[in-house]
Amino acid sequence: MLTLDLIFNVVLLAGAIYCFFFIGSVDNATSTELGAAFWPRLILGIMIVLLAVGLVNTIRKKNGKGPVTGEAIAGFFRSKLLVGIIICAAAALILPQIGFIPTCFLFLIAYGILLGEKRPVVLLITGVVATLVLYIIFQGPLSIFLPRGNGFFRNFALFMENILGMIPGL
Amino acid sequence: MLNTLISGLQIVLTPSTFVLIFAGTVVGVIFGALPGVSASMAVALALPFAYKMNGVIAIAFLCSVYCASITGGGITAILFKIPGTPSSAPTTFDGYPMAQRGEAGKALGYSLVASAIGGLIAAFAMAIVSGPLAAVALKFGPGELFAVAMLGLSVLTCLDNGNVIKTLVSGLLGLFLATIGMDPQTGVARFTWGSTTLLSGVEMIPVMIGLFAVTEVLKQTVKRAKGKGNDMESTSGGKFKTAIPNMKEFFAVKWVMLRSSVLGTVVGILPGAGATIASFLSYTVEKKVSKYPEKFGTGIADGIVASECANNAATGGAMVPLLALGIPGGNAAAIMMSALVLKGVQVGPLLVKSQPDYLSSVFGSMLITNIIMVFVALAIAKVFAKILAIPYSILGPVIIMLATIGSFALKNSTGDVVLMVASGIIGYLFVSLGYSSAALVLGLVLGVMCEENLRRAYQIANGSWAGALNSPITIVLLLVCAAMILFPIIKGALPDKKAKS
Repeated sequence: MLTLDLIFNVVLLAGAIYCFFFIGSVDNATSTELGAAFWPRLILGIMIVLLAVGLVNTIRKKNGKGPVTGEAIAGFFRSKLLVGIIICAAAALILPQIGFIPTCFLFLIAYGILLGEKRPVVLLITGVVATLVLYIIFQGPLSIFLPRGNGFFRNFALFMENILGMIPGL
Repeated sequence: MLNTLISGLQIVLTPSTFVLIFAGTVVGVIFGALPGVSASMAVALALPFAYKMNGVIAIAFLCSVYCASITGGGITAILFKIPGTPSSAPTTFDGYPMAQRGEAGKALGYSLVASAIGGLIAAFAMAIVSGPLAAVALKFGPGELFAVAMLGLSVLTCLDNGNVIKTLVSGLLGLFLATIGMDPQTGVARFTWGSTTLLSGVEMIPVMIGLFAVTEVLKQTVKRAKGKGNDMESTSGGKFKTAIPNMKEFFAVKWVMLRSSVLGTVVGILPGAGATIASFLSYTVEKKVSKYPEKFGTGIADGIVASECANNAATGGAMVPLLALGIPGGNAAAIMMSALVLKGVQVGPLLVKSQPDYLSSVFGSMLITNIIMVFVALAIAKVFAKILAIPYSILGPVIIMLATIGSFALKNSTGDVVLMVASGIIGYLFVSLGYSSAALVLGLVLGVMCEENLRRAYQIANGSWAGALNSPITIVLLLVCAAMILFPIIKGALPDKKAKS
């Protein structure tokens, strides 16, 4: 049976074989010096052998975890895991565009809903309070300049920084 | 030793540093007690607070978070049968039954005092051992250092009872990731595929934060979707007396404390082992040597003391290879090592000699933290039911946002945030398929040390393998490595006598 274990193993093996031959092109070894390719090739070589053994074991024992059936695939696309991954990835990608404050606020609400919080007031209050607390602590006393974003969002971040600058001690 | 003590206390008793250590202890106890926040994650989440600190103070602060989080894990293990950190799992065996009998306060008292004693003994052991070990390591050439680094990696496979091949692949993957970027000796770009971002290599901190924070939140997301969230079931309605055991009771478990502290320290020193292995091992050993093994698991002090003493002692042990050899003893130590590297500190045997402040600072921090955490934990325990009432729907997203800040603040780069999320997602797949993220982290951290020393040894020996690895220490260490790697493989290949019988 096709298992997630098997697929992961094959992908790793294919990647390792590709990298093993790819790094060969930068070999600059001399008689007294190991080249830049030696160490990676040593690691990849051992990895290829171990992955091949692992692959054989998985096929022989037929006990790989997570059988990839049509139902399992459909289940994954409906799962909270996928939504969680998408929310995290989206937050990482929009962070440079819209800056920290809007990203943090939206993320806290979106992930809060995913984790089962259904009360909108709680979500809203949590989103605002947690965003402000994190922003004030890091942008203020810890002097970590959080992403500002572009255009309107940049102006908004600068406005917030001005307000923060007016608070004594921050 | 006395100099280290005086210098350590001078560092940590500076008002500003003391306040930071106190804050680190409070944060650590709370983080450690929250289910789903491991000690490694607590240290990873505390990283952004340490970025602006001086290196010596930063390590003291991170140490306080680390020690306190291990202790914090015991509180929920006793009160709610939920180990806050994996290393507190054995504490539930006796802590929870004791709490159910209405002795929650006494169980907490034993747990906190044992944690403090374990931590203090380990701190002294660390201060005593690190110096001489570093002095020996200073005589090491590149060949020996390569063998030491390899030993750090091979211990992992020996300790992992699961799939040895997957653990080895995980470690190798970590070593491989460490090769990405510019070759430090020849300046050749490796596995960058023309990308200038990859030239500087894979940043360790975002990868670690991703593996410890994002992966854990994803795991909790799946757990909660399946309805396996933590149901907090207080044994005493959140109200209990936090009575410290009296002297008579304390003396009754003195040998348990001593044995567990020594065992925990030794296990902590082994690279790749750590607080979890220490506490389980100590619990098992105490059960075996006890005059009344049948009482273990029914709610006796010995069980709590064995687990809590050992897991806290492992924190001190884990700092020994980090400070003396530049090899982290566990995940949390690996994060601390990355923080030191980030501060420009050259981690390795020379650190103890050239910058003794780091050893003093860790020592001082451990002494102070292990003492004040008893009072902090006692105070926090009384309001714990309220702290634990914070729903994960709030806590989980906040953890990821803290992780985001930690990754971004490293170089003010949103690319590191993407790397953190990618690491978290891959980490989830990795863990759910039985691979070892601890091995990957260790490989990533030790990769550069392994490669640089091997190449230097070869170069010094004028291109002779025999010359590069011919010192007795190198040969012995490499033989030990080979034995450690081969032992679980041979053990797995042999027919299982127990199963047959």
